[in-house]
Parts: sequence; structure tokens; C-alpha cells
Amino acid sequence: MVIGFLRTIILYLLIIAGIRLMGKRQVGELEPSELVLSLLIADLAAVPMQDFGIPLLTGIIPILTLLCITLILSVLTMRSIRFRAVICGRPSIIVENGVLRQGEMRKNRFTVDELMEELRIKGITDLTTVKYAILETNGQLSVLPYAGQLPATAAQMKCNPREGGLPAVLINDGRVLDHNLRDRGLDRAWLERQLKAHGLRDTRQVFLLSIDEGGQIYLSKKEGAL
Amino acid sequence: MKRLIAAVVILAFILGATLCNTLLLGSFTGELTHLLEQAGQLGRAGSWTQAQVLTRQAREVWQGRDSYLHVTLRHADIDQISAGFREVEALLACREEGEYAAANARLITQLELLNEAEQLNLKNVF
Repeated sequence: MVIGFLRTIILYLLIIAGIRLMGKRQVGELEPSELVLSLLIADLAAVPMQDFGIPLLTGIIPILTLLCITLILSVLTMRSIRFRAVICGRPSIIVENGVLRQGEMRKNRFTVDELMEELRIKGITDLTTVKYAILETNGQLSVLPYAGQLPATAAQMKCNPREGGLPAVLINDGRVLDHNLRDRGLDRAWLERQLKAHGLRDTRQVFLLSIDEGGQIYLSKKEGAL
Repeated sequence: MKRLIAAVVILAFILGATLCNTLLLGSFTGELTHLLEQAGQLGRAGSWTQAQVLTRQAREVWQGRDSYLHVTLRHADIDQISAGFREVEALLACREEGEYAAANARLITQLELLNEAEQLNLKNVF
């Protein structure tokens, strides 16, 4: 048991180091410690689950150990910037003022093809329009175009568009969500009036009915229920 | 801070519990091997009944910890040792000195290996 405990700690730290050395692109959307945790826990749980000759404790102890270490690492990364840099790495600036930083690309094993693909995904085809492209610690590429290349906002255009706010679902697949109705200060009588206005008799004929904070209603009738 | 303390406490508890388990298993298997070695000496001296009593006593001690053993050790290892006890007792009942000595030595070795595998040392960790 104690051997399992120590082996778990050693292997966990070793795999985190391995993931960090592999670079940011291997990480995906998780931080290295989270990725390692998710990789290991599934395997640890599966072994005692399918082999009845192994005590359950041989799965439980490593899983508990991993969860505790991850918790400790996450608290320490919150408290110490230096520790966070060691565990999660630092963001890398790949493009600065429209110029490729080839050293950073080599360091992160990030190819031109991958960079161009990421830029295309973000709707950018011209590198010179990019002020910064930053490879984040979770492996995602953040692209910040020059201010002149950004679409104009309503505020910049001195427009004052209507603020829709957060829509609340009032009918979900024929079921009335009374708590949302109450939250918006509405009642069933109001709902029935809305249905009648749309030529409907029953809430079961509605697939989705939502209302935003400005009172704008969206109604989708249920297919085949009309 | 509470979460950090809770995680550290749980880790310390797991370490403590696993170390206790190692010590407990060490003393438990030590007791059994002592009884089996005594039984072996008695068998060589021809005191078969005494040897049988000590071997049965060792088996009862082993079986008395059945739940603990199944929770902490691989079931195949436990079954192998339980079968070993049965074999040794059968050979004792037949008064087969040579085969008994070999089976008893095998059983003692299995118990020592069981304990050895749980000991905290570099050989086991790596």
C-alpha cells in the first residue's frame, strides 16, 4: 500500500514534467496537472473495477493521493506566480507587431502551418494585421489584431443599440418553467395570452419560448404538434 | 487555505495508514513464520502432533485476518497461501517428512515474500 502511495506521487510528478516538456500544444484546454489527473484517474479506476482479484483500495489510495496532490498544486499555483510558471508554463508571444518570433516558435515546436491554420480559424489571412499572437499555457492561440483591423463597435459608431440582456427560457419542449416565469414577474395568464397571440392553444405545442430582459419574445413551435 | 490543509491532512493520513499497514503485515507474517518454523523443527524431531497443533494455530491466525487480508492484498496471493496451509496440514497428517519440510519451507517463503513486497525500500518503490 505505501509503495502504491509513493509510486503514485512519483509517477504523477514525472508525467506532469513530461507533459510540460512536450510543450503547450500537447495540453489542449487543460492545465498540465489537470490533464495528467484526467489521464491517470480513468486508468486507475478501471483496473480494480474489472479485476476482482485486486483490492479496491489499490485503486482508491492512488486516486485519493492524486486528487490531494492536484488540490495542493492548484492552491500553490494560485498563491505563487513563480510556482504557477513552473507547473503551467508562461504564455509565448509567437507574433509581435506582425513579425514572426521564430525563436519562440522553435521553442514551442509550433510550425508555420499550425500558425496559419490557427489564424485562418480566427478569420485572419494576413499576418501583417496581427499585433500579437500569443500561445497560451493551455495550448490555445490568442490573436490580437491591430486596433485599425478590429471591427468597429457600436460605441465607436456612437450608436445605442437595444440591450437584450440574458434570455430566460419559459417553455422548454412543452414544459413550462414556472420559476423562470416568476423571476421575470410573469404568470400563466400572460403566457396563455402570448400563446393565443401566436395562434396556439396549449404549452405542449411550443418547443421553445424565451424572453430577454427587454421583453423580446422568441417562440419556436413544436414540429408535428400543430 | 482550508482546502490546502484538508489535502495535506488526507495525504498525511494515507501515508500514516499505509505505513501502519506495512508494520502490521510485518508483525503478522512474522508471527506466522515463527509458528511454522517451530512446527518444522518439531516435525524434524518426530513430534508430529505438536507440529500439527502449531500449524493449525498458524492457519487459524491467518484465517482470522481474512477480511483485512482481502482488503489490503491481492486475492491471488492470499489464495496461494491459504492453499499452502492446507497442503502443509495434509502432509503433516500423512507424516510425510520430506514433502512436509519442502511444503512448509515454501509456505514460509511465500509469507516472507508477501511481507517483503510491502516493505518501504527503494527496491520496492522503483
